[in-house]
Amino acid sequence: MTHEATQITSPTKPSEILLHLGPQHPLQPGPFLLDLKIEGETIREAELKIGYIHKGMEKVFEDRTYLQILPLTDRICYLASNSNNDVYCRGVEELLGIEPTERAKYLRVLTNELCRLQSHLLGIGEYATDVGFLTMFIYMVREREGVVSLLEAITGSRLNHNYARFGGVANDLPPGYKEMALKTLGELKKQVKSHDEMLSSDSIYLRRTKGVGVLTAKEAGELGVAGPPLRAAGVEYDLRRMEPYLVYDDLDFKVITQTDGDVFSRVKVRLLEILESIYIIEQCLDQMPSGPYKQDVTPYITRPKPGEVYARIEDPRGEMGMYIISDGSDKPYRFRIRGPAFATAQALPPLLVGGYVADVAAIAASMDSCTSEVDR
Amino acid sequence: MAIIEIYDIIMHYLVYIFADNPFAPWIRGVLGGLVIGAVFGGALVMVYLERKFLGDMQSRIGPNRVGGRFGVLQLIADAIKLFTKEDIIPAKADKWLFIGAPIVALTSGFLMVAVIPFDLLVIKGNEYAVAVSRMDISILYLEAVSGLAIFATFMAGWGSSSKYAVLAAFRNVAKMIGYEIPLGITVISVAVMAHSLDIVEIVEAQSSIWFIIAQPLGFVVFFIALLADVGRIPFDQTEAEEELVAGWATEYSGMRWGLAFFAEYLHAVVGSFIVTLIFLGGWNGLPIVGNLYIPGIFWVIAKVIMVMMLFIWIRAALPRYRIDQVIDIGWKVLIPLALLNLVWSTIIGLLWA
Amino acid sequence: MVLKNLQITLRTVYTKSVTRLYPEEIMDLPDAFRGQQHLDMDKCVGCGICSQMCPNDVIEIVKSGKWYPQFDNGHCMFCGLCVDFCPNGALSMTKHFELACWTKEETVYSPDQLAAPNKAELEGRTGGYTK
Repeated sequence: MTHEATQITSPTKPSEILLHLGPQHPLQPGPFLLDLKIEGETIREAELKIGYIHKGMEKVFEDRTYLQILPLTDRICYLASNSNNDVYCRGVEELLGIEPTERAKYLRVLTNELCRLQSHLLGIGEYATDVGFLTMFIYMVREREGVVSLLEAITGSRLNHNYARFGGVANDLPPGYKEMALKTLGELKKQVKSHDEMLSSDSIYLRRTKGVGVLTAKEAGELGVAGPPLRAAGVEYDLRRMEPYLVYDDLDFKVITQTDGDVFSRVKVRLLEILESIYIIEQCLDQMPSGPYKQDVTPYITRPKPGEVYARIEDPRGEMGMYIISDGSDKPYRFRIRGPAFATAQALPPLLVGGYVADVAAIAASMDSCTSEVDR
Repeated sequence: MAIIEIYDIIMHYLVYIFADNPFAPWIRGVLGGLVIGAVFGGALVMVYLERKFLGDMQSRIGPNRVGGRFGVLQLIADAIKLFTKEDIIPAKADKWLFIGAPIVALTSGFLMVAVIPFDLLVIKGNEYAVAVSRMDISILYLEAVSGLAIFATFMAGWGSSSKYAVLAAFRNVAKMIGYEIPLGITVISVAVMAHSLDIVEIVEAQSSIWFIIAQPLGFVVFFIALLADVGRIPFDQTEAEEELVAGWATEYSGMRWGLAFFAEYLHAVVGSFIVTLIFLGGWNGLPIVGNLYIPGIFWVIAKVIMVMMLFIWIRAALPRYRIDQVIDIGWKVLIPLALLNLVWSTIIGLLWA
Repeated sequence: MVLKNLQITLRTVYTKSVTRLYPEEIMDLPDAFRGQQHLDMDKCVGCGICSQMCPNDVIEIVKSGKWYPQFDNGHCMFCGLCVDFCPNGALSMTKHFELACWTKEETVYSPDQLAAPNKAELEGRTGGYTK
């Protein structure tokens, strides 16, 4: 399997067809163009073309002050908006030389994990429609409503949270939150275990997904893929364990891995990570210290000292990084976003070659990419 | 005691209307038209039942705005919407094939409806089947006519001249041809056990015991082959939205699409009727107890609705197979089982004669 | 084999459905909800911090007696930065979110419209804001 960018060639034999999947197609989470050359039902060549929703975010950010960029980082990947906020705030805090308060650290971990829950639930749901399992999509959306209501109670908004601030967070927990959260999460745990059983014991589903679209650890490493696809190939790589940020070194959790690297393992990793995140949230709610949730004075025109910083975080899709160069003024000089979905989108065409057309949907959806983040 | 007298009076009037008076053949003809209309209504009922029952199994309510709290007129609203849409025929499409495909699909549905009996009335020693026409070889006729649906799919796919539609049509034809064989073999094994090819006689042979108890393997094989023939989940690759955008009906819009969609549901309803009549005892009430004095037509309708709910239940619960796995199952699993069932039913049929 | 799926879907038939019939039943929103902004005219000093803060240039300071902010709802993304950084706490967010209107001019809310007591919250029901 080669990873150089290949140009797809025109069909030479009369039995070959050039099929365009996209830019508008019901299977996609966003517009991209997947060109396939198929012969009968087997795929011979595949090529992916992106850039249909390029918004020029990095250029736009060079024209806004640091605090004005904060709500816009939500929209890089709208399903993982808390992670985006958090990594941006940590980057700027390092440039400013301040640290968030203790309570703010626990609150940020809490919202990060809630955000991971709702992103995984929707990712598995979209994958289920592509395999043909319509009921599972509706069940996942139903569970996700509870999680999104919990996020709404803290941050005020269901999708674009805009919650972290430099040196702390925007709001504190409302009263009575702990009981509400524990009740919702208890229900969620029961339902997710039942869905896991439903998926693992269904023979049609197993036949459809076992051994399909295998991404080995070596290939994933060459392409820069991290997150559930890498952990499903057997590599224990999780930024929360390797370079603990915020308070992750005080919390107890396992890094979930599977050995096969096929479609079934990737979805199973996400399901088990949901249960692990619920455990982390319960510990956070227990151990949360009292105290201020933000610094006393949060400046609204921030002028960091000249320098550069690269901050990373464990996004639900992989590893997200932001590289900020500041030249002493109130707007950044260069802002570079390293999105995890870009690497997973690159890994898609080689996986498709040699398989069936009917597998494209299952493999593409199990990689769980977010086109908005690929194109920025 | 009073019930038997009322029953006698009703039978007397029925005999007068359908057999004795000079307009009786015309009245029987109108009844035939009503039977076709009833099966049509059955397809509408199935669409409504699907949306509501599927919603129940997915923790949501189905249609609930049009026509009161239960949304019973939702289908009429959808039909009006489809009539008002623009009718688009692609420029490179083959016009006659494109237009003819839904017509052929509906024709196949109509022809199948022509032999489905709802009840058997014994009036003054003569047997009258409540059906449009009663043939000696009705089961064989049904098998032959259900093969027309394959034509319709291929005409639609080829006539659309779009890559998605052609690929979907190829898949569909491969699947349907493979599954017609177990369907036919199972039907033959039922006919062997009942010693006749006439549906009315097959139902009459089940007056003491249903064929689902006598050949359960046959029921399972027939049901799975019917799911594949009609094209419902877990075998609906050709309409899989995610893989090949709406399959062979990709280029259809407006009422043409409505007709194609309706023809598929009609096929499913007729399939349910066949299952009820040849495996579940038709109008003979319960296995040993018998009719309980309720007219046979209500038993038929109740059983058909139960089979429809089984179709919808399977749709809600299972994912979809991949096309090569579907064809594998058809040829490698179902045909041997169907042949085994044929041997079994021949033995039982001989012992029981 | 596939029996677990059939069993779970059948069991769901007996549980209550989660649909909410929207215009008749309204969801109860949390207190932190970010909806339409509300201006307290006594506390506002016209400093202009909210206008400088806004990422989308939605706020303009206009003269209506004193100097007050005017909002263009068509471009607002309800991020809440103007509310967080107001020095006197003159701006706050209400729970009103049904803001559809008929013409483009109605999307711009003048300071008097912002300061009016929000009828929606008083009546518990939402609809067009200015009517």
